[in-house]
Amino acid sequence: MADKKVGGGNNDGKEKRRKESILDLSKYLEKQIRVKFAGGREASGILKGYDALLNLVLDNTVEYLRDSDEPYKLTETNRSLGLVVCRGTALVLICPQDGVESIANPFITQ
Amino acid sequence: MLPLSLLKTAQSHPMLVELKNGETYNGHLVSCDSWMNINLRDVICTSKDGDRFWRMPECYIRGSTIKYLRIPDEVIDMVKEDAQAKSRNRTEMNKNRGGNASQNQRGGRPGGNRNNVGNRPGQGYGGPGNNAMRLGGAAGQGNRLPHAAKNRK
Repeated sequence: MADKKVGGGNNDGKEKRRKESILDLSKYLEKQIRVKFAGGREASGILKGYDALLNLVLDNTVEYLRDSDEPYKLTETNRSLGLVVCRGTALVLICPQDGVESIANPFITQ
Repeated sequence: MLPLSLLKTAQSHPMLVELKNGETYNGHLVSCDSWMNINLRDVICTSKDGDRFWRMPECYIRGSTIKYLRIPDEVIDMVKEDAQAKSRNRTEMNKNRGGNASQNQRGGRPGGNRNNVGNRPGQGYGGPGNNAMRLGGAAGQGNRLPHAAKNRK
């Protein structure tokens, strides 16, 4: 469809599009992003492309593995996946990998 | 008070978002849409068990994975102002729409009659019943329908 916004196209409102996503993925193109999937898997990779349904193409993707008995806790082990297509409907969270850091409890604990 | 109008009003305010998987995200709401997809800025992510924390400059969260959002109390007062402004607009629109509705009603009648003819075999009761509902809808609820459509947009 011509009115769908695809793959980093810079749409300047010439054509009417159904609904603009509140997420502008073009700013993440060629950058490393972190994604979380429904079910708990996490991965990071370089964003190569995307579509309006939030399907992503990631390159040099690494999956962060989890313990089988603690499915939400990441372990130190990784699994290299290479080039992948992430299904948009399965995505829970997208953030740039740059600036993500583990920190001590920032909330006051009493 | 609609949940999504509250959320929209809460833009730029700090909030806590808990996902269905138990993780919580504290950050400032940048934007949200009608699916409750949200963008947060200056985020602190807390693990389900609450003993690990991550800082992230920004993140996008899919609305369907949200369990709830905690929003600062003061936001609710701001929504009320919005709601009043909206209802004022609404009454004005209703005045305009009133003319349209009566036109619709007039336009609706031939259709209803056609229905009656179509329902002739054995549905003598059903035909007029539907017809009455249709006219009632045009006259009484005609004003609501455009709003429903508008809100869904």
